[in-house]
Amino acid sequence: MQSTIRCISTGTRDWTPETQLVHSEHMPPLRNWLALSVIALASALSAFADEQPAANTQAAESTPLSADEMKNAASVDSLTIPTPGEFFVAIEKEGKPNWSSQYRPPVSINSTDRAQIALNLGTLIADGYIAVEAHDGQQVKNVGKDVLALAKKLSVSQSVLARSESIAQFAENNQWDQLNEELEATQNEVKKALEENRDTDLITLVSVGGWIRGTEVVTGLLVENYDAEDAKLLRQPALVSFLKSKLAALPDKIQKDPLVQNLSREIDGIQKMVSFPVDHVPTPDEVKNLNLAAGKLTKEIGGPE
Amino acid sequence: MTRFILTIFAACLIATSLSFADTDAQVTARSDAIDLAGAFQNDGFKIRDGDYFGQLDKGQAKVVSVNLYSGNAYWFSASTGQKSDKLKVSIFDDTGKPVSYLPYQNGPRAAAGFSPDSSGLYYVKVALEEGQNSTFCLIYSYK
Repeated sequence: MQSTIRCISTGTRDWTPETQLVHSEHMPPLRNWLALSVIALASALSAFADEQPAANTQAAESTPLSADEMKNAASVDSLTIPTPGEFFVAIEKEGKPNWSSQYRPPVSINSTDRAQIALNLGTLIADGYIAVEAHDGQQVKNVGKDVLALAKKLSVSQSVLARSESIAQFAENNQWDQLNEELEATQNEVKKALEENRDTDLITLVSVGGWIRGTEVVTGLLVENYDAEDAKLLRQPALVSFLKSKLAALPDKIQKDPLVQNLSREIDGIQKMVSFPVDHVPTPDEVKNLNLAAGKLTKEIGGPE
Repeated sequence: MTRFILTIFAACLIATSLSFADTDAQVTARSDAIDLAGAFQNDGFKIRDGDYFGQLDKGQAKVVSVNLYSGNAYWFSASTGQKSDKLKVSIFDDTGKPVSYLPYQNGPRAAAGFSPDSSGLYYVKVALEEGQNSTFCLIYSYK
């Protein structure tokens, strides 16, 4: 399954203009779906076999978005909330951070509080990304076991089981790129299974847990080795606002959960810390405060019920 | 009464299964969007395992909000998978102001390459310039 397309060159960043070969079979998280859509693909591929788009130059629309367009813009978990892996890729631009310094002691997986389990699952998936970035196969497997244990408690272990096997295999073979993809696929499988089980509210908590742990890790790396460019990554007002709106929309039963109540309170403080103007660079002290706030929440999520 | 309850139960089951199933149009659109995004994979771009589907008529557009990180490079790829369609993808900042991006447009396939200078909210607009009542799929890749 191959098609060729000339990549667009910018002259900025590190885009490369060489001809690109597409190997769709190298996309493990999408493999299942690809198998099902092979018939549809066959006709599509033949239609586009001769495609040779010319290189493009920079462009921009002449008309701004209207207030209505912005107000009615769709926000979906799977595109609007970046994965922890995406956050971590951004911070690696300035050099390889000491990822293993951000490991934490194993979290309690004995809780029976479903909200806490979902939040914990999110933080653990973020831990998986850290272990992958650190190229630490054993840690990936350890985290994978905990993810599976928590998934079982939420009755979504079947969807994670197959993934956890391939995660262990990829970790064994040091296939880090594939591991990254498997982790993202695992997170999506968990969310899909929760949706199928009519536990859609818990999906929000998985996302929130992942974001909080991701923020703790990135700020932790910055506390260790401050870099002004990387500190700018922490500007995420709209993202926190989106997460807050999702928390506010949770059913009363979940909102009354003491951990969720605390989380909703503390996320207000975090929102202020990540809502700075575009031209502001967070100082080392501001980064440290954000790290303490995110770390405190991660501990509460991971602590005993 | 029992028959009534069973009928309602069966209807719920069917509705549930339908709500989780992708339509043929979605499968085709996603297949084609992934094929397009795959072109950037050898350049180090990772395809995010997430998507957004929308329905458009000629002249209509859908806007999706995304949160991006400065320093990362992104490609937003969309397709309807229908040969006669013409799709366009463009990018705007958090105030709705157009930003400079790398366009790619070829019939039902369109993409926009962008590297934000500042982290935060951006809007991706997908517009159907030719065609009618088409389902599109939007995905993105990053590095």
